[in-house]
Amino acid sequence: MYGWIWRKLPGGTAARLLQMALLAALVLALLWFVAFPWAALHLPVDQAGIG
Amino acid sequence: MRSFPRQLQLVGEILVSCGLVVLLFMAYMYWGTAERTASAQRGFARELQGEWASPQTGLVALADPGTVAIGRPFALIRIPRFGRNWQFAIVQGTGLPQLALGPGHVPGTALPGQLGNFAVAGHRVTAGNPFWSLPSLRRGDLVDVLTGAGTYIYRIVGRPVLVSPADSAMLAPVPGQPGAAPHRRLITLITCDPAWTGTSRVIATGVLVRAQPRAAAGGGR
Repeated sequence: MYGWIWRKLPGGTAARLLQMALLAALVLALLWFVAFPWAALHLPVDQAGIG
Repeated sequence: MRSFPRQLQLVGEILVSCGLVVLLFMAYMYWGTAERTASAQRGFARELQGEWASPQTGLVALADPGTVAIGRPFALIRIPRFGRNWQFAIVQGTGLPQLALGPGHVPGTALPGQLGNFAVAGHRVTAGNPFWSLPSLRRGDLVDVLTGAGTYIYRIVGRPVLVSPADSAMLAPVPGQPGAAPHRRLITLITCDPAWTGTSRVIATGVLVRAQPRAAAGGGR
């Protein structure tokens, strides 16, 4: 999967490394700021309400 | 024969990636939720201090429990046993979206200083771990609740007890006796037990020992 992405990216090694880093940052930001906050509200973790 | 190891490699990459995402999610539950709560709490504290600085608004707003909108802050809670700087704004509501902002007031229960039972639920872990130390509360510990109307000081009456998550009678004006007319002004602090789960609740009860109207407090704080 990662090898396939690497081969699809244009440019030399340095350009590809930069693009991989940007892709990783994008995915991590989506997880941290969108997916995880949503999941935290929908998982039965540490429930404190009563009744 | 060439494609079989390649497919295996794909499966391996996906599994390792999923594992890393789960680890990252655990980090989010600990640090990410704490930062989100801290950020919301900073705004709430500013908002409440500003609101209380202008005289008389708090008294009117607190007269009717229905006027505090879900997710809005209306009081500050301080528990010296949890540390000198331990303070949270209490928001209205105890759904997960509200508890992500800070400890929540159970809608329908009394407001600070009122006859009956002022019930507040909070996360034990995540969201800044507000009620992490709740099981360590002991008889005599003080709980200060600050509102626009004044400061209400409750004293914990005994060791925290375990109850079932379905035990809504503990929220009644007279805890354990739904329907009974209240003659005391109580506070009930609620969090989960064991930590991270929804298995049980641990609750601490306090009784109002002193109320200081804001005017008598000298206008400050």
